[in-house]
Amino acid sequence: MHSILAVDDSASMRQMVSFTLKSAGYNVVEAIDGQDAFEKAASRSFDLVLTDQNMPRMDGITLVKRLRETPQFKSTPILILTTESSDQMKQAGRAAGATGWLVKPFDPNKLLEVIQKVIR
Amino acid sequence: MIDDSSPLGEHAIPLLVAAELQDHLMTATNDLDRLQTLLADACDTLMLRFSSAVEQMQALMGAASDHRIQADELLPVMRSLGAAVTALQFQDMASQLINHTHRRLRSCADQLAREAMGDDEEGLAVVEDAPLRPNPVTQAEMDAGSVELF
Repeated sequence: MHSILAVDDSASMRQMVSFTLKSAGYNVVEAIDGQDAFEKAASRSFDLVLTDQNMPRMDGITLVKRLRETPQFKSTPILILTTESSDQMKQAGRAAGATGWLVKPFDPNKLLEVIQKVIR
Repeated sequence: MIDDSSPLGEHAIPLLVAAELQDHLMTATNDLDRLQTLLADACDTLMLRFSSAVEQMQALMGAASDHRIQADELLPVMRSLGAAVTALQFQDMASQLINHTHRRLRSCADQLAREAMGDDEEGLAVVEDAPLRPNPVTQAEMDAGSVELF
């Protein structure tokens, strides 16, 4: 079973993401912000990281940069799921090493399609 | 009697006007706080109902796997739950929008007070920082957002 790290500071978003992923058979670990996610990623590996951008303590793009510096996450798919839709932010995400940029709100079926496409 | 002059000189906003504007801005930020609380309460209730619907759905899926009911009978319910997942993200987007507007109004109120009344005797008046970037929430509808793979 693939494991996914879902990162969002909004409890309702974490519930929506977890419900969607668990319904499709994925194992989901939740993190409340980038710092929490980075600490959880240090203790185990994941098949995919799905993260929000705007969060306290550590934002999504910083999390992507930090994970990419870690050997075990060098090629792990990392998707940013955010309300931010500007080209400037997308380019920043791309430069940091994100695999893709998804704008909220997400449609459960579309999210699962994207995950199936990028997960190994 | 209130001194209606301002430390900024003759072209500055009179103190009474500045005070009234600041009062409006502070009232608006308080209203946004209440709106945030109401929204959070409403969404907590929706989430509880949603979780309950999901549990019932899982029980029905168990019944479908035992052939006690037809699996295709569950498709409309699954579609409805999927649409609810999209709609329930409204709370996250609305909260970000409210928070951003709150910070901007609060900063305006603080700046107005400082410009009209000057600094405190103890030092510089505290002005809450305005957000550096525009509001990140640009979506106006609840249609699913875009997907871009790099």
